[in-house]
Amino acid sequence: MKTLSSVFAPVAALAVAAVVASPAFAADLTLSFPTAAAQGKIMVAVFDSAAAYGGQGQPAKVVLLDAAAGETQVTFDGLPDGDYAVRAFHDLNGDGKMNTNPFGMPTEPYAFSNNAVGNMGPASWDRAKFAAAGATAQTIDLK
Amino acid sequence: MTPSRRSFLMGAAALSAAVATPEMVRAAAALDAAAGADWALATRDVEGDTPRQAMRLIHGRAPRGLEGALYRNGPAKFRRPGGSATHWFDGDGMMRAFRIRDGQATLEARFADTPKRRTETELDAVVTPGFGTRGDARARIGSNDDANAANTAVMAAGDKVWALWEAGSPLAMEASDLSTKGFVTLRDDLKGMPFQAHPRYAPDGTIWNVGTAGGQAVIWRLNPDRSLNDAQVVPLPRASYMHDFTATDRHLILVLQPWVFEGHAMPVVSALHWRPEMGTQVLVLDKADLSQRRLYDLPAFFHFHLGDAWAERDGTIRFDVAASSDPRFAVDGAKVLVDGRGVVPGDPARLALVTLHPDGRAEMVSSEVVGEFPKADPRRAGLKRRLTAHTWGETRGRPLPTGLAVHDWDKDRSNAFEFGVHQVVEEAVFVPKPGAVAEDQAWLVGPSVNLKDGRTELHVFDVARISDGPVATWQAEVALPAGFHGAWIG
Repeated sequence: MKTLSSVFAPVAALAVAAVVASPAFAADLTLSFPTAAAQGKIMVAVFDSAAAYGGQGQPAKVVLLDAAAGETQVTFDGLPDGDYAVRAFHDLNGDGKMNTNPFGMPTEPYAFSNNAVGNMGPASWDRAKFAAAGATAQTIDLK
Repeated sequence: MTPSRRSFLMGAAALSAAVATPEMVRAAAALDAAAGADWALATRDVEGDTPRQAMRLIHGRAPRGLEGALYRNGPAKFRRPGGSATHWFDGDGMMRAFRIRDGQATLEARFADTPKRRTETELDAVVTPGFGTRGDARARIGSNDDANAANTAVMAAGDKVWALWEAGSPLAMEASDLSTKGFVTLRDDLKGMPFQAHPRYAPDGTIWNVGTAGGQAVIWRLNPDRSLNDAQVVPLPRASYMHDFTATDRHLILVLQPWVFEGHAMPVVSALHWRPEMGTQVLVLDKADLSQRRLYDLPAFFHFHLGDAWAERDGTIRFDVAASSDPRFAVDGAKVLVDGRGVVPGDPARLALVTLHPDGRAEMVSSEVVGEFPKADPRRAGLKRRLTAHTWGETRGRPLPTGLAVHDWDKDRSNAFEFGVHQVVEEAVFVPKPGAVAEDQAWLVGPSVNLKDGRTELHVFDVARISDGPVATWQAEVALPAGFHGAWIG
């Protein structure tokens, strides 16, 4: 009788081969912003490294969702598997800026992946990062 | 708690010759001292909301015509297994409602349901930095309201009460059942602007308030219905710590003490530096035109609380202040309170009267009366008055007041009632008698923590006869920790 490990061994070998053969599996990442009001635009940036997320580099993906037209979800197909983090803010008045109060605090809703909250600043990469592999979804509450 | 240690100690004394060595007795005595001061109940933790309960009338009788509710706010949860608040100002806000109707009194209390409290409940640890609490890396602060303890004061707002803090938004709670509704944004572009704990009510119904950020302040002007009339940012001559401001019918008065922010750091006290050589400045703004300002100089003093101000016909402005010589209570004394043991450094605050003369001179005269939590007749807010209600009886080393008093500035004397050290007396509010106009035709309504009975009490005094003691006292089944500030809604 075959053991479980012998049944799975060829599969595991195949997986290793695939990883070696191509950069990564493709991940389909869906981001939803269900609590966003139906006005303005939601600016979404997806980062694939701590450095880029921290401002030292470009986002892997950027999208502008037309919240006023009811657009509150986006899917990025075929991302390389890996760790990602998202920054999003809701440009309620559509002026292209993240508005602040007179003392410099944001007045428009914003959020990070994992609905992570920072510690007197943006959520850190460690709090916001998530692994994307296959179909991956994040539901983010802008507030 | 201490009973087992006390009984061990007493047993040890009785059996000392036979069993206990002097070392054992000393060790037990040290444990007993470390276990807490007799006043520690005043900063106890409350684990959950307190449903409405009848209070028992234990003294006097309910005054006819006294109907309404005293809403009071104050910290009620400091300690969690994974980390604790170390400063009195950083406990979770709990709204209390003392309701008086048909001669009966009830008490209920609910925690303000803040993001801070939710995070810390989930983590079972106090992690949020505050006024004096360091916090830790687990804090979740995306905006100042994520650190808002909503624990300082109360403002009536229709069918809501607003739980006020110092560095963030008001938190709306239902007046009827104290459930939390959420933070109040007075205008979208002002979301999260600080709205301090001591709004001032003008004779025309306008409500003024301030919020500070370093060397600037937002001046809030609200309509009587609590909607926003205007908000302007004004520069300040220095980045003083400011807990309170005051107002006449025509002026806003910002007292800039020499406890100043130098750089950014958390907790708040770590960024503040005491610079007595700078003296205290008093900035007076014209309500009708905030760009019209005048600056006065006084010797250095520290304060949290001011009394209502008034302007006299010749332009003289007067207000009272509970002043002390330095901020040691704010830095260290408030930590002693949460420790529940130890000696409070510095001297208790004393009432003083500040006079700003039309020629630009300013003077401050101390009454030498120990007092805090000054409150005045709401019928005279911003207008000439002679009386200030205040707490009384605080002594050097021991925190918290033990009595109530009314100071008469015309006679420069206080009429006081001293409960004794078994009571921790909280701020009392001025409640005018129905239809009455004279300044002393009013009651003082305020609670205390009866340390001996382990219960919260609610007292009513006649302002004209404070030294006679309360005309009515009700006692609850529970002891809630001492609160900060309240508002009467008649």
